[in-house]
Amino acid sequence: MPSYYEFFCPVKVIAGKAALEHIPYELSGLGASRPLLITDQGVRAAGLLDPVMAACDEGGLRIVTIYDKVPPDSSTTVVRDIAAIYRAEHCDSIIAVGGGSSIDTAKAVNILVSEGGEDIAAYSGAGILKRALKPFFAVPTTAGTGSEVTSIAVITDTEKSVKLPFTSPFLLPNAAIIDPRMTLTLPPQITAATAMDAMTHAIEAFTGMAKNPLSDAYATAAIQKISGALLTVMAEPKNATARLELAQASTMAGIAFSNSMVGLVHALGHATGALCHLPHGLCMSLYLPYALEYNLESIREPLGELLLYLEGADTYAATPPIRRAEAAISAIRRLRDELYQRCRLPRTLEETGKVTRSQLNTIARRALDDGAIIFNPKEVTYEDAIAVLERAWHQPHPVA
Amino acid sequence: MRVKRLQPMAARARRRYVEAMFQVLGRALQAVSEVDANVQGEARVLPAGFMFEMKVMPRGSALVVEHTGEGRFRYHGSSAPKPVNLSIQFKHLAHAFLVLSFQEKTSVAFAHDRMLVDGDISHAVRMTRILNRLEAFILPRVIASRAVKQYPANLHLPEKLLSGAKIYLNVANQFVHAVRA
Ligand SMILES: [Fe+2]
Repeated sequence: MPSYYEFFCPVKVIAGKAALEHIPYELSGLGASRPLLITDQGVRAAGLLDPVMAACDEGGLRIVTIYDKVPPDSSTTVVRDIAAIYRAEHCDSIIAVGGGSSIDTAKAVNILVSEGGEDIAAYSGAGILKRALKPFFAVPTTAGTGSEVTSIAVITDTEKSVKLPFTSPFLLPNAAIIDPRMTLTLPPQITAATAMDAMTHAIEAFTGMAKNPLSDAYATAAIQKISGALLTVMAEPKNATARLELAQASTMAGIAFSNSMVGLVHALGHATGALCHLPHGLCMSLYLPYALEYNLESIREPLGELLLYLEGADTYAATPPIRRAEAAISAIRRLRDELYQRCRLPRTLEETGKVTRSQLNTIARRALDDGAIIFNPKEVTYEDAIAVLERAWHQPHPVA
Repeated sequence: MRVKRLQPMAARARRRYVEAMFQVLGRALQAVSEVDANVQGEARVLPAGFMFEMKVMPRGSALVVEHTGEGRFRYHGSSAPKPVNLSIQFKHLAHAFLVLSFQEKTSVAFAHDRMLVDGDISHAVRMTRILNRLEAFILPRVIASRAVKQYPANLHLPEKLLSGAKIYLNVANQFVHAVRA
């Protein structure tokens, strides 16, 4: 139990069947009527804008304009361009439809259009913003990042080629709209990778240094939902109930980690993603069991508790307390093996085919510079990080 | 029930303790960076001229060191001669006292939202590791293991260099017990 903690989540969660249809009412409740919609090409190509547009149309809300070219790694230039469109079209609110990049971009755009200026870099850092921004809704189309409930955005400064972090409670959307239609067509491998991102958020939040009773409640519920629904979704991609379970779990895991932070898995994953251009969720799935094994003696008790949410009451009860932490890691390994079977989601660095052994030194060094490492329950040296990477390189179990 | 009022003496003593501790840490940081390869290795990545400040909000005591290059730090006292690049700020004197009297680990203080970071996070991560290393040097092992996540196994430093700090810390430690009681 922590001797002190803080917990904050003022985002209204609007989830379930026909959730999109609540957008017009909710936006009018904030006194806004001219939303700018921010999204990416993938979302548009998948036809996901159609239900959003239809819901707004029928509800008497006109989307003033759509920006649909958010790149996977959003930049300061993109943010400036979108802010210019917002101003030219006299918009008064923002709706982001997409994954982490669209939502992060929208957060940054909201800073510029609310606070003024052209240069988003001027607002980088923590605690710069002192008042509420324009009405902003997030409609996630992946079940993983949790960006709809986090108070952080990361935008690449293309000129200086650095990543600019923005943190403020005012970046949080006013509402997160979780509609099963938005994740129904997500391809299997992205479904699996993003779900493992959410799983990692929940597990790192629950076993990290900043864990607290409120974030614990969200984390355990998220793990239970993902364990219950992920393989169902892999078998029946059109199962709306199971899709909604994953989407809600992702939001819950997002609430957990934005209050409890993440650790070594994310530190290694951020470094790997940036260097080897691998999707974030995939990196999470890659490192999760190995980082937990590294942390094991520091997290034995909370990790053991998670067996209940990963495997259910019967397995938990049948496993002696001293074996539960190891059993939890085995459950995660089995889930990864299953995902490899279903959609070839790589389990090791070697299986990705995109990482070379010579890059491990750089990954280790960069991971030690990542902010997430502060909250890892066990101190990590360069040698430790290399050892985890070596384990993650090659599958130590027979390949199914 | 009697209402216990905050004793101005204790508050003042706490303030003086934090001030003195910042001085000890500042001097020790400079000293350790002159002899310890591990600290030098961590610090070398920082730009030369990099100004690091640790202070108590809103206008309390401060500790300023500069990375002069090659992994060496120079202690500047409580005010920076030029704009700082990284500032770690305790939200309240009480929080600074918790950390500087080694009742709360630096990383735990981060987890408890006791401090704000203004600047590059990767530099903050690095400075936290350097401060952990430093605490391990200047503190008796039993206190240091409370202050850092893991007590490093490979500490080699001329005893005399840090004995001054250690003597001071013995005094400080007794003071902590007196104030905590
Ligand atoms: Fe993540």
